[in-house]
Formats: sequence, C-alpha cells, structure tokens
Amino acid sequence: MNSFSLKNSISNALYFIGSMLVLIGLWQLVTILTKNEIPGPVATWQVFMELMSEPFYDRGPNDKGIGNQLVSSLIRVFSGFGAGSIVAIPLGLLMGSSKTGMKLLNPIVQILRPVSPLAWFPLGLLAFKAAEGATIFIIMITSLWPTLINTAFGVASIPDDHKNVGKAFGFSTWKYITKIMLPYSIPHIITGLRLSIGVAWMVIVAGEMLSGGVGIGFFVWDSWNALSLERILVAILIIGTVGLLLDKGFNALQNAFSYNQK
Amino acid sequence: MNTSNKSLNLVDSANDFHKINSRETAISINNVEVSFSTPKGKFTAVKDISLDIKRGEIISLIGHSGCGKSTLMNTISGMVLPTSGEVIANDKVVKGPGPDRGIVFQNYSLLPWMSVYKNIFVAVDSVFKNKSTDEKHAIVNHYIEMVNLTSHKDKLPSQLSGGMKQRVAIARAFAINPSILLLDEPFGALDALTKGSMHIELLKLWNLDNRNKTIVMVTHDIEEAIFLSDKVVVMNNGPAATIKKIVDVNLERPRNKKAIAHDPEYIRIHDELLGLLFDKFSIED
Repeated sequence: MNSFSLKNSISNALYFIGSMLVLIGLWQLVTILTKNEIPGPVATWQVFMELMSEPFYDRGPNDKGIGNQLVSSLIRVFSGFGAGSIVAIPLGLLMGSSKTGMKLLNPIVQILRPVSPLAWFPLGLLAFKAAEGATIFIIMITSLWPTLINTAFGVASIPDDHKNVGKAFGFSTWKYITKIMLPYSIPHIITGLRLSIGVAWMVIVAGEMLSGGVGIGFFVWDSWNALSLERILVAILIIGTVGLLLDKGFNALQNAFSYNQK
Repeated sequence: MNTSNKSLNLVDSANDFHKINSRETAISINNVEVSFSTPKGKFTAVKDISLDIKRGEIISLIGHSGCGKSTLMNTISGMVLPTSGEVIANDKVVKGPGPDRGIVFQNYSLLPWMSVYKNIFVAVDSVFKNKSTDEKHAIVNHYIEMVNLTSHKDKLPSQLSGGMKQRVAIARAFAINPSILLLDEPFGALDALTKGSMHIELLKLWNLDNRNKTIVMVTHDIEEAIFLSDKVVVMNNGPAATIKKIVDVNLERPRNKKAIAHDPEYIRIHDELLGLLFDKFSIED
C-alpha cells in the first residue's frame, strides 16, 4: 500500500517534469519561428532571476519589486473573495432551503452571472471613489456567483433521507442547520469557493490593468509599456503558478471536508 | 418449548405483564384515505382504512410492492398526513412526527458524516431536552451496548455492514424511548442469516421494556411477519389499496425460530397468507 503510493507519487512527479519539458520545447519552437520576437525560455529565465534577486524593493509608487506586486494582488483577491463569500454563502443557504427563495433569486443570478465583472468597474469607482475599492468590488462580484450557485445547489439537493431524520427526531431549526444542512452542503460550498477563487485570480489581472497602481496585472501592463516581453512572460508564469497553488489549496480543503472519502 | 435453545428463550421470555396491559388502544386509524396530486391527476394510494392497534402489540403490514403499506405507516409516523379520516396515536390526533413515535427507515437513514455514537446522540439530545449531558451519554451507551455495537461506536456508517447500520437505526429509535415504534421494511436489505438474528434482537429489546412498546412493521416477508407479529394486516394491491384481511397470529410467546416452523398453527397461517397474497402458485395453475 505504502510502496504503491510512493511509486505513484514518483511517477506523477516524472510526468510533471515531462510536461514542463514539453512546454519549454514548444516555447523554444515559437521563439525560433518568430525569429526571437517572442523571447525564449533562456532569456526569460535570466529576467526572472534578475527580478527574483530583489523581489520586494520599493522605489516609489510606479517602481516596486515583483514580490510586492504579487502580494498586493493576493491581498486584493482575498479581500474581494472574502467579502463575496460572506454574502454568497448565507444567500446560497437561504436560496437552497426555500423554494420561494430559489424562484425569486434565481432569475436575478442568471441575469447577472454572465456579465463580465469588469463591467462593474465604473460602478465600483462611483461607489468607492477610488480604484482600489473598485478593484476589490469587482473581485467581490466575481466571487459571488460560483459560491452562491453551488451553495444553493448543495442545500437544495439534501436527500429526503437526511431531512426525515430531522423530522422524525424533532430537530430544532438550529440543530437541523448545524447537524444536517451545513455538513451536507460544506463540500458543495467549498467547490463553489474553489471555482470563485479561480475566476477571481483571472479577473484580478484585467482589473489591475484598468486600475493601475500596484499589482501583478499592473506589472504586466507596465512591462508592455516598457516593451519588456520577458517580464510579461515571467508574470504569466507566476500568475499561472499562483493560480495552480490556490486551486491545490482549495482542493486539499475539499478533501478534508468530504466525509465519504474518510 | 425446546429447552436446548435456552439463549433464544431468554431473549424472548414469557411475561404476563404484557397480557394484562394489552387492553388499551395505542393507535386508531379511522377511515383514512391518502391521495397525492400528480401531473396526471389525483393518485389515491390507500383508502377506507380503519384499524385499531393495542398497546404492546406487534403488527405487520404486508402486501405487494406499491400497495401503499409504507404510506399507511407514514400516516402513523406523521410523515404523511391523511387526505381524509384521522389517525389517533397515544390519544392524540397525528399532525406530524413526534418523539412518542420512533421510526426505523427502510434505508437506515443514518447521517453519513457522524459516527455511530453521534448518530444516536444527536437524536437523544434533540428529544430529551431536559436531561443532563451525562444522562444522555448514558442512554446512548446503553443502547449501543444493547445492539452489540460498543466496539464500533466511533465508526462512520460507511464503515459498517448493512446489518450493523440497521442495528444503529434500531438503537436510535429505541433510545428516544417512544411508546410506538414504526419499522419500514427494516430487514428488507439484509441477507437471510442476518435477518434471523435481527428478529431476535428486536424481540429482545421489546421484552426488556416489558413488551410495552407497540410495534408496527411494514414487510413483504411472510415468515418474518408471522414470527414477529400478533396480527398480520394484508393489503390489497394498489392503487387505492384497502385492507384485504387481518390475520391473527395466535402463537404463544416466547417463540422459538427453529421450533415454530413445525407448529401446525404456524403452517396454517403461512398457507392462509400465501393464499391471500398470490393467485398462482406454479406455472400450471
């Protein structure tokens, strides 16, 4: 059993390395085909090392290290994501547990959900009178929908068998919520949160291109203005890696809370 | 009675208290009809049902699949309310589920995220609001021991066999000390051997409480119905099922699983029930 799982993780690691080699190979090919207009892996690696040599320097509002950019983006994402989740989870519980709530709220959700979060940016500016608030606001809107829909779906799909236990043994509303409704829907809620943080991390780059200031999205735009494609490629790789880590984190959370696999 | 089967006799020992106490009516079903509105119109599950069940009696509802026997039992539990007529349980008209009526569901209905212990505790905690935490823990431990699950009490339902899950469900229903116990095809999913020992366990729990609990059970197993019950209620086929016949089981308790099969009265009742439930007995009939 143990030697099997060890073998398994070794083979997974080898596949990951293989996959990275394929990516680097394709990348090098594109560089050759575009006659070095797109920087290759080696040139990008040099810029990456340069940036990482001093990630947290701060030379005024428009000149900060890549670490600072990343941290401020993460803070923004988690603020917006936190605010969105605080609204989405209770609303989702309400929507899922009452047919009236579902029928009343669902059309609103269905109309607003497909709207690009960036469309809310001007309203955010109007409400918060600052780009910072507006960026967090669009992240909040972004994080709202997947969490809301998954929470509502989770609660609405509680099997009658579980509900009957509550009825047969006279559970109070509080007992029903804490012993049946939440334990059943937590895996669904975490799935929603996982989707939300994924989309939020995508939207933050676009949001920061609009808002300017400091952040990984602004860094991409700033690098374009400075015509440093290497820095853009470094930023893309960092954004991808952080996104992957966020997803892995929520995946671990999901596994920790799924009672069926224990 | 076969004295070599002492252990079986012990768990189903003679008790006169039961006979003295069996006059009072525990459940009274008066002219009950249950119908549901479906997209295709009104569907009547059962109708014209009247039945009196005395305290301490064990009653089986038997019939083919879909004859509404579960629906009828759910009118006693309060999970289904009659469209017309009324059900009186413990001198009160049934308006919904209540802790005086314990339910053992067909598919056990254990909460999968809770251990055996917590599944029972959460029910006990909900019903006995005035008892101290220590008393509640004592009750839970007592019933877990009663169904021999003490060594499994920290396991999740997914780690248990079907028979063990059913024992948890039965322990949970007994732990809230209801005067009426409703069992919906409780042993339907179990293999024949496990089923046999579950029957003994059920009678053991019933005896320990001086046979004061009224038990209503839905089943489609004729042998099970005769072995456990005082009366077998045979239902017609649905829709709009009615009671076909109530068959009395006048077999002396304690009953011995092995000896009872040779009892002429058992064989007579078995034949009668077969005749009521089936029209054909072989392909030539």
